[in-house]
Amino acid sequence: MKISFSVNGERADLDVEPRRTLADALRDDCGLTGTHLGCEHGVCGACTILIDGEPARACLMFAVQVDGASVSTVEGLQGTDGELHPVQEAFVACHGLQCGFCTPGMLMSACHLLDTKPDADRETIRAEMSGNICRCTGYQSIVDAVERAREGMCVPAVRDSNTAAPWGATFPEE
Amino acid sequence: MSEDTVMAEDSVGVDDTAAGAGSLGRNVRRKEDQRLITGHGRFVTDVELPRMRHVAFLRSPYGHARITGADTAAARDAGFRVFTGADFAHIELRAQSALPSYVETAQPVLAHQKVRFAGEAVAAVVAADRYRAEDGLELVEIDYEPLAPTVCAWEAPSEPVHVEAPDNVLLERTFDAGDVDDVLASAAVVVERELTTNRHAGNPMECRAGVAVWDAADGKLTFWNGTQVPHIARNMIAELMGLPEGRVRVIAPDVGGGFGVKSVLYPEDLALCLMAREMPGIPLKWVEDRAEHLLAATHARDHRYLMKAGFDAEGTLLAVDADVTCNVGAYSVYPWTAGIEPLMAGGLLSGPYKLENYRCTVRGVATNTAPSGPYRGVARPASVFAMETMFDAAAAQLGIDAIEIRRRNVITPADIPYKMPSRLVDDSGHYRECLDKALEALDYDGVRAEQRRRRESGESPIGIGVAIYNELTGLGRAASAGPRMPFRTGHDACTVRVNPDGRVTVLSGVTSQGQGLETTVAQIVADAVGVRYDDVDVRIGDTDESLWGFGAFSSRQAVIGGGAAHNTAVEVRKKIITLAAGLMEAAEADLRIEDGDVYVVGEPKPYITVAEVARVAYLESNRLPDGIDPGLDATTFYDPIRGAFAAGVQVAAVEIDRATGELRILSYVCVEDAGRAMHPQIVDGQIAGAIAQGLGGALYEHLVYDDAGNLSTGTLLDYLMPTSAEVPDMVIGHVSRPASNPLGVRGVGEGGTLGPNAVLAGALRDALGIDVDELPVSPDRVWKELQG
Ligand code: FES
Ligand code: FES
Repeated sequence: MKISFSVNGERADLDVEPRRTLADALRDDCGLTGTHLGCEHGVCGACTILIDGEPARACLMFAVQVDGASVSTVEGLQGTDGELHPVQEAFVACHGLQCGFCTPGMLMSACHLLDTKPDADRETIRAEMSGNICRCTGYQSIVDAVERAREGMCVPAVRDSNTAAPWGATFPEE
Repeated sequence: MSEDTVMAEDSVGVDDTAAGAGSLGRNVRRKEDQRLITGHGRFVTDVELPRMRHVAFLRSPYGHARITGADTAAARDAGFRVFTGADFAHIELRAQSALPSYVETAQPVLAHQKVRFAGEAVAAVVAADRYRAEDGLELVEIDYEPLAPTVCAWEAPSEPVHVEAPDNVLLERTFDAGDVDDVLASAAVVVERELTTNRHAGNPMECRAGVAVWDAADGKLTFWNGTQVPHIARNMIAELMGLPEGRVRVIAPDVGGGFGVKSVLYPEDLALCLMAREMPGIPLKWVEDRAEHLLAATHARDHRYLMKAGFDAEGTLLAVDADVTCNVGAYSVYPWTAGIEPLMAGGLLSGPYKLENYRCTVRGVATNTAPSGPYRGVARPASVFAMETMFDAAAAQLGIDAIEIRRRNVITPADIPYKMPSRLVDDSGHYRECLDKALEALDYDGVRAEQRRRRESGESPIGIGVAIYNELTGLGRAASAGPRMPFRTGHDACTVRVNPDGRVTVLSGVTSQGQGLETTVAQIVADAVGVRYDDVDVRIGDTDESLWGFGAFSSRQAVIGGGAAHNTAVEVRKKIITLAAGLMEAAEADLRIEDGDVYVVGEPKPYITVAEVARVAYLESNRLPDGIDPGLDATTFYDPIRGAFAAGVQVAAVEIDRATGELRILSYVCVEDAGRAMHPQIVDGQIAGAIAQGLGGALYEHLVYDDAGNLSTGTLLDYLMPTSAEVPDMVIGHVSRPASNPLGVRGVGEGGTLGPNAVLAGALRDALGIDVDELPVSPDRVWKELQG
């Protein structure tokens, strides 16, 4: 089937089998291998992209479903001048990635979160980012990165025991 | 804070501090990040070559069955290239060990004769793309005659997995020290428990993958593989395929997590290489999907511990008598053998505790389940749980505080070097210091007060759990990883080259699956040579580039690969100094190199640059001083001979929801003696990631087989990995005591996984007084316990 869609602002014309997943079309037909596949059954979030601004799992969609749509992938985050997107910069600063395999999906989810809930607190970030599995980082540095991208300020990648607030007589919620 | 106690204040953002400061100990920007953050990583899946075809494997639906026929005619007629077990029946993977009790068995490339676990590959189809390859699988018919499967390692088999081992026992060994029976007989208290731990797996986010291409012109095989051990893989592939080792090239590009799962040479890997040789010039690609991964990549931690420990009235540990059974699955994992988990359990069961009387029989038992292999922490998340359970039980029986009983028994700096009853030598000993610091961060007294308050008010109970552990890292030849295998993994090589333009290229034998080795090695070399971090490029993972490296396992690379990088870089610095001294007619002792400039001591301005020296070395032999050869490089090996123990303590405050049985972690603290931290963010990232994996294993992750040998947790919907909603913020602290190796480092990759089982089980006992003998501590189990 012939389809046309826009990906990161450029037009893509493909001729795909109806069964071809969007993830495979992006990776193999468009050469955008930044979108990763960690499970191919919709759980891990590695393949998260934005379709018309909404997050979607590229592994669970057929390429033909984006005919006429506008798709954003990790490759589109960096500015044309080479400058990193604030979310990318924050992930680097906070060590929000180790192997980097989950990272493209994390970045796309984080971008959508910050677009739609610019005031997200730490708990909200944890809840909203829970659709993306990372096996390496233990998440703390990812949550830090999202906070940092939001606040444009420095957050420790992993809190030191001296700076983390220990509780006293009262026992705070978090 | 005492002066020599280094905390991770540096963990705040990337440190772009300019030149001169040296890069070690700072959070320099990771070299890997730019490509990974922009979607330009190079994972095996991303390799795209002309004429490439795709492979899909057909897998056994039975846990145990005889193969009575294979009909591939329909698939061949439809134009598919098909391979079955018969094609490669002459080659088998035989993991070897010289241990006397070891029963050597074979693993086929593709199963023939019989299948030994559900998911074992029986055939492969090659097609233009993966979709078509999977179409082809549907046309292949394999006939099976089911056999009785065994899935539990402590139940007698009705039909052995391998004929060589009628009782399924592939290895058994007893560690024996002191006089266990007499001491137990006279102990004030003897605690006894049967403990089992849940099968789970490393499950990196990138599944396995390989691209193999046979170059018929040179008779050379190139294999892109997401492996942690490219040089071992090359060595094994060459041997198994009868190829000269120089004609096998293994490339591990960016790898999306490994955790031990990718330190194994799998039959699928070998199948790909063998198929490629049959199809010259056609690159073959196989990308594992998650369902295959859960079925057929290595599992781990399916253990039973029969524990008996004797204490005196003051809580001093007197003797341990243990019997450990590890389910090693259908095959003795290649090349590590079925001994990997049982021997680690027996060798490190007593952990950081002083003990003289020790008897521990360990065995590896084959079953009709996926093979067990190395998984981050190898056996110790289970063995630490077993040992800590002994202390909690004894403390309760003797009326001693659970912290105090541990404090009385841990190895102290005064005991160092401490020879454990398994004869391993602990060289850290800073357990009490780690413990004090961890309790302080937890606000131990505050939590205890809150615990009492809640007991009175009837609010959700909370409990404190604690785990103390040692992590044997950077094993040299004397303590080398693995059970007397035909190779010793104590050393790595490194080449450091100053290029004619003065920039440095490092060809290192280390590999990285996220640990940031490109960065760390660059830091080490930059500082030791005296050039800027940004002027060092590190190339890893390609056996045609680096001379030798065993790869990533046993938390060895910072110590061994790092040591090799440091020593080699020091050699190169000496060469630069010698050459510069000749050119400048100065004394070598008066020269120093900093940020790529060569200074004469006492002079503020550099005399010459490393780039100028390098230019002479390569391009202007006319200016070379007498006796100095062209070129500016060095290659050396490093072997620490022994290992370096990292010490660790984890404590947590956990709340239990009586209505749902759910545990909520209120606070989680880890303090480690990881030696000198070369890149604090990376060190803390390793610890945090390892703890998260440990929490997953303790709370959710469970690979469950039914009695027929079917895996009933075959997707990520059933096999639950923790997300950002479950893993809490952690507090990570350090007691950084330099180890005695060139960089003062201790390995840090695995330790974090060792604590969570013991911590959560202990917290539950502390909160509710219930014994946790079986893991995971899942809400349904807790809830059942709460119902009585
Ligand atoms: S690959 Fe799409 S959700 Fe995992
Ligand atoms: S960084 Fe490796 S999976 Fe997230």
